[in-house]
Amino acid sequence: MKDLIDYIARSLVDDPTQVEIKQDRAGASRVHIELRVAKEDMGRVIGKGGRVANAMRVLLRVAAAREGKQASLDVVEPR
Amino acid sequence: MSQEKTTLEIIAPSVDEAVARGLNQLGIPREMVDVEVLDTGSRGLFGLGSRQARVRLSIKSAEAPATTQPVSTSAPAQPVSKPAASVQPVSKPAAPVQPAELVQEDEPSVPGDPQVLNSASAVVNELLDKMSIKATVTARYIKGEEDEEHPMVLVEVQGNDLSILIGRRSETLNALQYIASLIVCKDVGRWVPMTIDIQGYRQRRDRQLRQMARRMAEQAVHTGRRQVLEPMPSSERRVIHLELRDHPLVITESTGEEPNRKVTITLKKQG
Repeated sequence: MKDLIDYIARSLVDDPTQVEIKQDRAGASRVHIELRVAKEDMGRVIGKGGRVANAMRVLLRVAAAREGKQASLDVVEPR
Repeated sequence: MSQEKTTLEIIAPSVDEAVARGLNQLGIPREMVDVEVLDTGSRGLFGLGSRQARVRLSIKSAEAPATTQPVSTSAPAQPVSKPAASVQPVSKPAAPVQPAELVQEDEPSVPGDPQVLNSASAVVNELLDKMSIKATVTARYIKGEEDEEHPMVLVEVQGNDLSILIGRRSETLNALQYIASLIVCKDVGRWVPMTIDIQGYRQRRDRQLRQMARRMAEQAVHTGRRQVLEPMPSSERRVIHLELRDHPLVITESTGEEPNRKVTITLKKQG
């Protein structure tokens, strides 16, 4: 699951070195993924009206379902 | 006709029928082939969303067919589904009998940039792999819609039980296509029109949509009332609009908000 988001994010941004992904468990079958990218790349992983982020969520849902889990994705502001 | 081909995919209203048609086409008996059911199909509701059954026939041994007496291909093997055109005076418009067909090579390939094809299939492969989905990916150029000058990339995904990749109202398929094309465009440095098809789903759905469009238009004319179709993604609504673009009596319109936007078919104002 993490790999999927990692691959997509790294492929879309201009600065792959700043892609950072954190995966937390939130209960037995729930997984929470946080994606951080460079400020300039935020737009690329979110997209117009959140289209890219939502598409990533849809694919993430399938990947999670393969493992019998539920996953959520947040794109967070860089520190 | 089937000397080199060792597998054949058939689409028909039911699994049994698909197998019968396939055997008829190959001209060999049932014992000679392995039957793999790709999709058992479903009836759907009021004819909407119904799927046809899909089977794949593989000839067990390549040399064997030559030694057996081929079954006559013109024999009426399935009396069930073939309404003899001349005998029945009233044919129901709502019962289309689709001929059995080969799935492969429906859209002819056209030449294009092989680098783009490599990128496209590599990206889709990578995405599927990261989603733990096993499938075969092939990419080729086909003629662009309406625009002969700009071919588009068709990425075909084949495998077992890929319905999870299509999703409700093809949501997953569209997400996959969107992400994949973004990555490919970034990879090759320019815009590439690209579409992904899974087990021939897009083609089947396209045919289904056109049929439904015509049926609903007919109904609008018949009843004089406007017809509202089920909610669809934009690509599917487009198919409906295009199909009825030249219809003399109705106009089409999309109404409502995404993701519940629907096509409405209304009568043209006479005057």
